[in-house]
Amino acid sequence: MMLPAIGLVVGIIIALLTPLRFPIEYSQYIAIGILAALDCVFGGIRAGLQGTFDKTVFISGFLVNTALATVLTMVGDKLGVDLVLGATVAFSIRIFTNVGIIRRYILDKWFRKTLK
Amino acid sequence: MKRARAFELYVAGVCVILGILLVGQVRTQEYIGKSQIPSRRLEDLSDMLRRSDAERLILEKEVEVLREQVSKVVEGEKAAETVRVELARTRMVAGLAAVEGPGVIVTLNDSKRQAGPGESPELFLVHDNDILQVVNELFAAGAEAVSVNGQRMVATSEIRCSGPVISVNNVRIGPPYEIHAIGNIDALDSALHMRDGILDTLRAWGIEAKVQKSAAVHVPGYKGGLYFQYAKPALEGAQK
Repeated sequence: MMLPAIGLVVGIIIALLTPLRFPIEYSQYIAIGILAALDCVFGGIRAGLQGTFDKTVFISGFLVNTALATVLTMVGDKLGVDLVLGATVAFSIRIFTNVGIIRRYILDKWFRKTLK
Repeated sequence: MKRARAFELYVAGVCVILGILLVGQVRTQEYIGKSQIPSRRLEDLSDMLRRSDAERLILEKEVEVLREQVSKVVEGEKAAETVRVELARTRMVAGLAAVEGPGVIVTLNDSKRQAGPGESPELFLVHDNDILQVVNELFAAGAEAVSVNGQRMVATSEIRCSGPVISVNNVRIGPPYEIHAIGNIDALDSALHMRDGILDTLRAWGIEAKVQKSAAVHVPGYKGGLYFQYAKPALEGAQK
């Protein structure tokens, strides 16, 4: 379970070492990208814990979800409708659901271990 | 455990991306915060900026068009002004405009002397020839505008005997004859008073001839019709 945390730290360090900063007008897209990545990470962990992880589904899910969210944001921008809210809500719900499942899984495991 | 490690690897990969994005976004937000703009307002502001940019572009084009128009108008005004000045000058030269300036006023009147026996009474009258000579002398002395009894001398003017009176510009005039001339006062005066000149000759016959110098002689414009039936502007001289 340590690997994702290490990966996160590595990513943060890489970004800190480079003078990376996104253009302000893209900040909305980056935000939705972060949500998509978060959703992907928790979804991946959940799948992994449940033993249903498939790398093809995982990678394609990450790419397609990010692309869809970006396109939605872009179209919403053009139409003057905050479609980005839809993507945000969808990702947030999935994240909560996945975290809930992970939590239950871990608790289950832990309690079983301690009850034994 | 091995299978678990495989999925962790992929998740870790996405986590690296997530970390990079997070830091970048935090930095961007910090930058936005530093410029004292609430991020919510940013969209509105950028939209306003875009709009005013587009507006500015349109206005710039308008400025260009207007500037062109102004320069055209100024050019046109200049041309119109030039034409106006040229026209006024031409009218003056042609004798259509009344003019004023220093000059002389020559008054000629018939002689009061009675014709003696054997003398023709005609000799004691002012003739067309006398006036013609005076006018001629005045022009020769550099007169710029001459009128006889209010008839301006123009290109088509005649001075001709017409029975008991004299016809100038096809208008009959009688004595006393008042000839207005604008030009160098001294030149005009001395031309008239030349020894054995026109005035001497006239006075010899007892004709009353008076020359009056004036700083402001008024010469009226030609009031008759101008009708050129045969003369047409020659091409080479007709540009203006």
